[in-house]
Amino acid sequence: MNARTMRLVAGAIVIVVAIVLLIVLKNDGGESTATDAGKAPTIVVNAAGKPVGGIADLTYKEGDQINFKVKSAVADEIHVHGYDLMKDVKAGGTVAFDFPASLEGVFEAELEGRKEQIIQLTVEP
Amino acid sequence: MSIFSSLPFAHALVARQDLPIPAWLFAWGASIVLIVSFFALSAAWRKPRFERENWRSIGAGLSRGLVSRPTQIVCGLLGVFLLGVAIYAGLRGTEAPDRNFALTFLFVTTWLGFPIFSALLGDIFRPVNPWRAIGRTAGAGFKAIAGQGPAHLEYPRRLGRWPAAIGLLAMVWLEVVYGSSGGVAVGLDPHAAAVAALVYSFYTLAMMALFGVEKWCERGEVFSVYFGMFSRLGYFGVHDGRLGRRRPLSAATSWATIPGSAAVVIASIGSTSFDGAQEGAFKSAIQQVFEWLSDAGFGLTTSLRLTDTIFMALCFGGVGLVYLLGVRGMRTVRGAPSLDRLRVGFAHTLIPIALAYLVAHYFSLFVFQEQAQFTYLLSDPLGTASTDLFGTASGGIDFGILSSTAIWYIQVGALVVGHVLGLTLAHDRALVYWPDYRQASRSQYWMLAVMVAFTCFGLYLLSAGNG
Repeated sequence: MNARTMRLVAGAIVIVVAIVLLIVLKNDGGESTATDAGKAPTIVVNAAGKPVGGIADLTYKEGDQINFKVKSAVADEIHVHGYDLMKDVKAGGTVAFDFPASLEGVFEAELEGRKEQIIQLTVEP
Repeated sequence: MSIFSSLPFAHALVARQDLPIPAWLFAWGASIVLIVSFFALSAAWRKPRFERENWRSIGAGLSRGLVSRPTQIVCGLLGVFLLGVAIYAGLRGTEAPDRNFALTFLFVTTWLGFPIFSALLGDIFRPVNPWRAIGRTAGAGFKAIAGQGPAHLEYPRRLGRWPAAIGLLAMVWLEVVYGSSGGVAVGLDPHAAAVAALVYSFYTLAMMALFGVEKWCERGEVFSVYFGMFSRLGYFGVHDGRLGRRRPLSAATSWATIPGSAAVVIASIGSTSFDGAQEGAFKSAIQQVFEWLSDAGFGLTTSLRLTDTIFMALCFGGVGLVYLLGVRGMRTVRGAPSLDRLRVGFAHTLIPIALAYLVAHYFSLFVFQEQAQFTYLLSDPLGTASTDLFGTASGGIDFGILSSTAIWYIQVGALVVGHVLGLTLAHDRALVYWPDYRQASRSQYWMLAVMVAFTCFGLYLLSAGNG
């Protein structure tokens, strides 16, 4: 095989790989993953100050209304970072958050006093 | 698992993290990289173009003003003053990482700012380097009293830039391994950062006293070597005390001749990879090892730090291995120089890749956190809410300044541009080693594979995001 054919073959391989990659990945990530709009999930925090079932993943599209409740067995302050919203919760109490998804990105909500993350909030464009 | 709540360092500072790049953009990025690489192989120049800097002095007056002794003194004082402020704020200020001047100034403004601006402008750290300023002043004082310059030890040639490579890894380790441990939001508090800065200052000044200021800056001083590496891509350079313009990228071609230089650039790519991968691509593997270690009886903090250390070492080793494989491959091309010569000769071609990784992973952090740096952190460096030096203490970060889409394009754009610049430098160097153009071209199949691997891995890290 001379250099010219080799180059042609290499080029063909590159293009085929690129197209396949494009098609596979396009189908893979095509649909929206913003699943939590319109729902109001309740995140439960146990007596150890940990979220039951692990850190809750909430995903919204920009412009959606973000709406969730936190029911906590311990008293603390709940802080939604980025949006910088803070609410106190009493031991055994429940607080509700309701605000528009105006900032894109990934944000944490945590029990501020314990530095314990309870929610991972994703806002997609 | 809520027990595994290690938060990477950046989280302690910035409340907004990047969304992973979407799959379609990953595919486009990867496709463009492959197509660009293919064209780079066939349609390229046949004589080296970047081996000479083509340096031209800018106007004598301007040049004299910018590199004169008074300017050097002012810049040196500024550097020492800012380092002092950072250490003082770290020791005396609030423990809240995001409200204290020290962490943002040291790890964001300096550590990320200098690589980016040096790559455009040239070595802008050198004049403000606080340790160099102190060392030179001490040297001048010594000379005035003793009547002659201090005698220095001979710097071992083989040691080269290894101290800087190890220091670079230690610095990143402090930031992303030590700083993310313990199941709390941040392990690296401002106080620890200030103590680290003090320890590093004493170490650096001692080494300067032993080996001489300029020698240590060129080879051992982490910040000088690391920022200096990126500055080789930049447009301005100083020759014989005169400031001039040069062909961008050209100064990089002579950078790696000092032993250990390849380790510095590999450490840079490896540590950025680790920081990007720990919360996305490697997250589950890291968690697995963490659980093994904690089950084996190590404490939680120890397990986490140990796990992170292992993965950081793996990243460094992996990047190094890919590069060495590429070099080995080139050795098989007829007329190739020795393995050692190849390894040193192509190390500088990774500098644009290292820069691209930095921009891709930290650009948004830099833009967000610099808003804090120049508003409340400047007016209230201690974070005690008791001072308002410039009236900006109540300022904040506008996270709306960059949309997710803008961040994505900048990230992918940086990787593609870094890839092209890396290929450019590699092709140019191959023409030096293989006078026969066709052999040079053939050798570059190997470097091409290395670059494609790094760039696609970078894209993959971005797409795996916070997983």
